[in-house]
Amino acid sequence: MQRISIAQAGPGMVTAKDVLAPDGRVLCGPGVTLTAEIIERLARSGVTVLTVEGRPVKVPGEKSLKERLRDLDARFARVKDDPVLVALMKLIAQHWIEEERGPARPAGGPTPAP
Amino acid sequence: MTVSEERVQAIRHRLKEVQSLPTLPPIVSKLNRMVEDEEVTAEQLGRVIEKDQVLTSKLLKMVNSSFFGFPQRISTVSNAIVLLGFNVIKTLIVTSSIFEVMQESDVGLWEHSLGCATAAGILARRRGVKNPEEISTAGLIHDLGKIVVRSELPEDYARVQDLVAARQVAMREAELEVLGVGHGEIGGWLARQWNLPDRLVRPIEAHHHPETAGEFRELAAIVHFADILVRAVGFGFGGDPWVPPLDHEAWERIKFGRSVAREILAELDDKLLELQDFTMEIQRIGED
Repeated sequence: MQRISIAQAGPGMVTAKDVLAPDGRVLCGPGVTLTAEIIERLARSGVTVLTVEGRPVKVPGEKSLKERLRDLDARFARVKDDPVLVALMKLIAQHWIEEERGPARPAGGPTPAP
Repeated sequence: MTVSEERVQAIRHRLKEVQSLPTLPPIVSKLNRMVEDEEVTAEQLGRVIEKDQVLTSKLLKMVNSSFFGFPQRISTVSNAIVLLGFNVIKTLIVTSSIFEVMQESDVGLWEHSLGCATAAGILARRRGVKNPEEISTAGLIHDLGKIVVRSELPEDYARVQDLVAARQVAMREAELEVLGVGHGEIGGWLARQWNLPDRLVRPIEAHHHPETAGEFRELAAIVHFADILVRAVGFGFGGDPWVPPLDHEAWERIKFGRSVAREILAELDDKLLELQDFTMEIQRIGED
């Protein structure tokens, strides 16, 4: 899921949440595949930001999934002997991986290398 | 080298003066007096606050931010008082000047605080805690002690930071060594000094050892775990980069399984995205 400005929106992106007008009206629900025409209409209604599935827009300086997983591991460096926190770390990693690549197959998604 | 009891007393004494430093707006004592009067309505309190336009605009920004998570926009102060309770509104007013200091001097800590408020709200609502907004607010100010040490005891603060960097210890350990007291306790002193209710004071002071919070143990456990969660996902910066140790007695009190954890992570993700917009907006208020 990624929050982007309307200028970054492109055809083929899929909305992940309600897209709201400045007055709070819902203009389009989640799960809608954007087209040039829809984007144009949203922009005319005053939409400035929207949330889309995955991470279609590369932000300069934004960390790659691999880097984020490495940082995650480093943050947990001091609590590696705590099974509850290690489980939490794995869940966060899984959550990010699914977000990036779409939900993993039910046969247990990939887990980050330790 | 341990720091003597006298030193802790001296710090405590100095922080007693703090009341005049991050100034308690005169409006707060006026509101306190009004609240003691049983007859006073939210409407009347709201009118007093709304005389101050800057404060009102900040307050409404805060109450409409994603960590309180109200679906509809709150457009008047009296509505905010009705929906969030006077304790929350009062706390936001009392601490608004501290947040300004935080936004200017330590954006990382500000984001960490907002993130903790968000996570605490999510956990509190899931547990069906009464007035979850109060717990969000406790999360918001759980690191009050850090910002006060930074602004009031700058030399000690620098020594704490040097220790964190040089010896790679957590901020809490460094504080105990330099000050003889941790930021939780310092935050608790202040919150008490400002007459904030125990429901907020105790979780702040005990957020690293929730079992000491007496009847507020569950609330302290929520703030404790919210702090861990927000550090775990890497939102904001709380003074050192590590996930703090989990208090297992507290965890037993509020524990949940993997599927709930997944839902919580997804909800937190969502709200943290919204928060990023909010942090940009709130920084613009002063500039308008």
